[in-house]
Amino acid sequence: MAVADFIISLLTFIAIYSLFGIGLNLKFGFTGLIDFGHVAYFMIGAYVTVVLTMPAGAAGYSGIGGFALPELFGVLGPIGSLFGWLLGVLGGMIAAALVSLAVGVPTLRLREDYLAITALGIATILTTVVNDEEWLFNGPFGINTVHAPLRDVFPLSLGSFTLNMAVFGILSLAAFGLTGYWLARAFRRQGRRGKLVLGVLVPLVAVWYFVLPTLSDGMVELTRNTLWLFDPTAGPKGGMDYDRFVLLLSVAALGGGYWLVERTINSPYGRVLRAIREDEDVPRALGKETFQYKLQALMLGSALAGAAGALWAINIGFIAPDQFAATITFYAFTAVIVGGTANNKGVILGTAFFWGIRNGTRFIDVPSQYSIQLAASRLMLIGVVLILILYYRPEGLLGEQDYDIPLPSRDSSGGTDDV
Amino acid sequence: MVSAGLLDATVQGLITGAVIAGGALGLSLIYDIAEVPNFAHGDMITIGAYLALVFNNPGEIPFLPDFGSVPFVLAAIIGVVLAGVLGAVYELAIFRKFRDNDADLITMVIVSLGLALVLRNAVLFLVGSKNIQYQTPRVITTNFDFLVTQTGLTVITTQRQAGELVTTGEWGYPWWLIVAGILAAVAVGYAVFALYREEEDFTTVSLIPPKILGAAGSIGTVLLLGVFARLDPQGTDYILGTQIGLNVKHITILAVVIVAMFILNVILKTTKLGRAMRATADNMALAEVRGVDADRVQLVVWVVAAMLAALAGILTGWFATNLTPNMGFALLLPIFAAVILGGISSPYGAVAGALIIGLSMDVGVYLIPGSSTYRVAIAFVILIGVLLVKPEGIWGDV
Amino acid sequence: MSEQNTPTPTPGVTPTDSPKIGDDGDPILRIEGITKQFGGITALDGVDLTVDPGITGLIGPNGAGKTTLFNCLTGFHKPDDGRVHLYETDITGKEPPAIAQQGMVRTFQIPRELADMTVFENLLLAPMNQHGERLRGAWIRGDQFVEEEQVIRDRAREIAVFFEIDHLLDEPAGSLSGGQRKLLEIARALLTDPDIVLLDEPLAGVNPTLEQKILGRIEALVEDGYSFLLIEHDIDLIMDNCERVVVMHQGAVLTTGAPEAVQSDERVIEAYLGGDDV
Ligand SMILES: Nc1ncnc2c1ncn2[C@@H]1O[C@H](COP(=O)(O)OP(=O)(O)O)[C@@H](O)[C@H]1O
Ligand SMILES: [Mg+2]
Repeated sequence: MAVADFIISLLTFIAIYSLFGIGLNLKFGFTGLIDFGHVAYFMIGAYVTVVLTMPAGAAGYSGIGGFALPELFGVLGPIGSLFGWLLGVLGGMIAAALVSLAVGVPTLRLREDYLAITALGIATILTTVVNDEEWLFNGPFGINTVHAPLRDVFPLSLGSFTLNMAVFGILSLAAFGLTGYWLARAFRRQGRRGKLVLGVLVPLVAVWYFVLPTLSDGMVELTRNTLWLFDPTAGPKGGMDYDRFVLLLSVAALGGGYWLVERTINSPYGRVLRAIREDEDVPRALGKETFQYKLQALMLGSALAGAAGALWAINIGFIAPDQFAATITFYAFTAVIVGGTANNKGVILGTAFFWGIRNGTRFIDVPSQYSIQLAASRLMLIGVVLILILYYRPEGLLGEQDYDIPLPSRDSSGGTDDV
Repeated sequence: MVSAGLLDATVQGLITGAVIAGGALGLSLIYDIAEVPNFAHGDMITIGAYLALVFNNPGEIPFLPDFGSVPFVLAAIIGVVLAGVLGAVYELAIFRKFRDNDADLITMVIVSLGLALVLRNAVLFLVGSKNIQYQTPRVITTNFDFLVTQTGLTVITTQRQAGELVTTGEWGYPWWLIVAGILAAVAVGYAVFALYREEEDFTTVSLIPPKILGAAGSIGTVLLLGVFARLDPQGTDYILGTQIGLNVKHITILAVVIVAMFILNVILKTTKLGRAMRATADNMALAEVRGVDADRVQLVVWVVAAMLAALAGILTGWFATNLTPNMGFALLLPIFAAVILGGISSPYGAVAGALIIGLSMDVGVYLIPGSSTYRVAIAFVILIGVLLVKPEGIWGDV
Repeated sequence: MSEQNTPTPTPGVTPTDSPKIGDDGDPILRIEGITKQFGGITALDGVDLTVDPGITGLIGPNGAGKTTLFNCLTGFHKPDDGRVHLYETDITGKEPPAIAQQGMVRTFQIPRELADMTVFENLLLAPMNQHGERLRGAWIRGDQFVEEEQVIRDRAREIAVFFEIDHLLDEPAGSLSGGQRKLLEIARALLTDPDIVLLDEPLAGVNPTLEQKILGRIEALVEDGYSFLLIEHDIDLIMDNCERVVVMHQGAVLTTGAPEAVQSDERVIEAYLGGDDV
């Protein structure tokens, strides 16, 4: 496996879990709701989307559906089929939001810690239901007939090998260029410590990605890593394979979710959310119906988790109840807290950090009889990191983000809205 | 032969409730006095159970030499004491530091979650995930068949001996005795209640609420009569019949939990330390102004809670003849449900909540066929129902 | 959320220039028999009171139940018994946001600044019924959004200048001094553009110059038709600035009346001397 392929699968993971984490950040970071049941909405999003989009009467499946939305719209061509899938995702998001509404109404009026425990309880129960009720979603056997949107279109080929290589190659280089530009900008804005970290990390990663493969496998490997969007082995003329498409899709979804949450919190609405987090009595005394806000934040965050679930399903190609254990929620909390609570960039950083380490340690060679020990020590490490971070750096790596409601500037003196 | 029924499920529920009560008592102390919604409590239960295992059955733990087995009771005591030491470690190494930093409730939730991950995975790391049991003498279960006949109640006891079902006893109570017994129980219960209620005027703190003393008097009367007034069997043509399986585990667990509760009660109500604990629960800042050493109180709270949790864990592992790294986490939700149900600032509420949760889980599973995987769900539905109606819990915010 | 949908162009944002309703002499608040118990303690024992437009002072020894009364009026506590009318509306048992929407806003005795938000954000939060406060308004931003936010910012800056905290606008509110927090608390309440403000010891810990300035501002606002119910420990301040004074003692209203009358009331002197402290 080329390094590029490993990176692509890792980045897809990170993008999906970042979307999941951003949903959690809206609840926990900005509004102060401890939703220990966040993974339930990931599961609901995955299941509902899969059932809405998969064909009816799939072999080995004895649950509800499927409802074959993409097939229905497939008569309009691939775009119609994609639209059908998007409708399915929307359905999954709505289902997640509705379930969180049902959870929120009885619990959000109570003390903040009651939400944590009831949410954990309800998530556990939901997983049990999905696992035990075969008539619902096939129980413990899961679903392996996940509809993969636009699967037929890939590997995407534009014509000749050279054309493919040129177009996808240029796009790949453009992506690197963009990353480089973004890194440079981030570098300039960092303090001395940040500059140091970036100055060490970036060259290291670059060497690992570009130089090391060359040493062992020569120019072919370098080309593959550089023109990462182009896969010469995909189809007779090369092209872009499906994994790369799923990555782009996930990144696009992450971008959308990121934008939406940023838009939401950088607004008077977001001010109310943060006021609720700080001291709910204050916005209440000022006439804000905080209960509604909390409910909406919960639903919106859950809907984003649902969208992440839909992507998870196509990325893995198979879903089953045991993929949605409560630990997934705790991973996300760790990622959010490590990166910086109430910082959306921090969520992505924290998720990358977390899954980078977690998937990186997969390559540690341990005898198979110690696999439990490896998994356990990983989780112990997470617990220790959580406690240490909360003690020594409660604001996380990046700290709370800045807020700004951009207005077409009339005057810019005094009392700008950003910190 | 009759089959087990509602009564048997109720007995099971009582045992479940007793174990939950052990956890819930400690959790309510931590919740109320240390102000930590302790998500590590379930895993403190697990740790306690495995600490006793270290001494009782070390051969099962891969990293330990098989140094022979300590009797279960002794191992349990050592386990509880060691768990108490660990409780002090949690407080000193973690929670005191966060309290000194004025950490808010949300932070405490996440910190306790971190501790939970560490504890559970430490067990997994050291012992692995296989099912293990204590080395204990085999326990013989006696089945009590209760038969309601025309003339009264017949009781037949059977035991399984060498694979054979053997009848070991047969007796009965005629109707007049039953009626008389009920009357006696009510009379004794009321008398005890009245006696202690009067006394309440003079002594300000009653160690045990008169209502509970009264109920205990009634139950004691019924048990005494049941044991000593055994008359001839009243026939076996029964109208109603049900079976209860009982063994020494049931009795031990109930007794141990009741004794633990009583000791805690004595500490809270009669000692200077207990008063300090209650003052801290009311208002930590104020208690400190009045000269209470809050750090010491918190330390005691964590030690006591960890010991209670260990007790619950050991009893669970013994009762189920099975220890798993997840055993405590599986109890976490019912324990929280019990504490919230009882109103977090009341240890009695926690026990009452635990009994309600335990009973509803086992009776619910009995009444709703095919619902055995939803035991915890039943507890939760009840919790949410109660929270909707009475958010401060059934025991109120007294 | 139903009451708030009156379609004004920029709801809650324009400072009221028309006099508030109710200055024709009708009482603003009618409080009848409010009772509140905490466990065994009776904090309020049948409080009867009418509050007329203007400034009303509320005094009484520590523990008299003044703060508890505020909590019961603004919905933070549910009274065990009794009724509260704000103008003609029965607001007994309503939730705090609904009561604030009706035009009665309170401050807290111990200031509750939103520590991790800036002073400016603390202020911007206050104006009611902003368009951008709803999810749709936050997502789909039209000219109105911009205009409204600009008006709010101007008002927030203006009030910050008045309370002399404008140099702190970009600081996190948690970094303010005790006195500055009090000012922020009052400024925030005023920005909601209420009919009546319940101020819980707003002047404790504020320097005398600013104290006079705040009282001056309150008087100016009364001219504009706002009303105030003011808890204050400094009797002289109350006597100099209030039109009427209410004295509470042990959970009940001891007496009400003009400052001079109250000052010479035997029972008031008794209550103050009898209490542990003032
Ligand atoms: N939340 C509460 N719980 C229990 N007692 C309270 C609570 N709030 C107030 N009290 C009691 O009610 C009484 C009145 O207090 P308060 O209204 O704060 O008095 P004041 O503001 O006049 O000083 C006091 O005895 C106080 O201890
Ligand atoms: Mg007060």
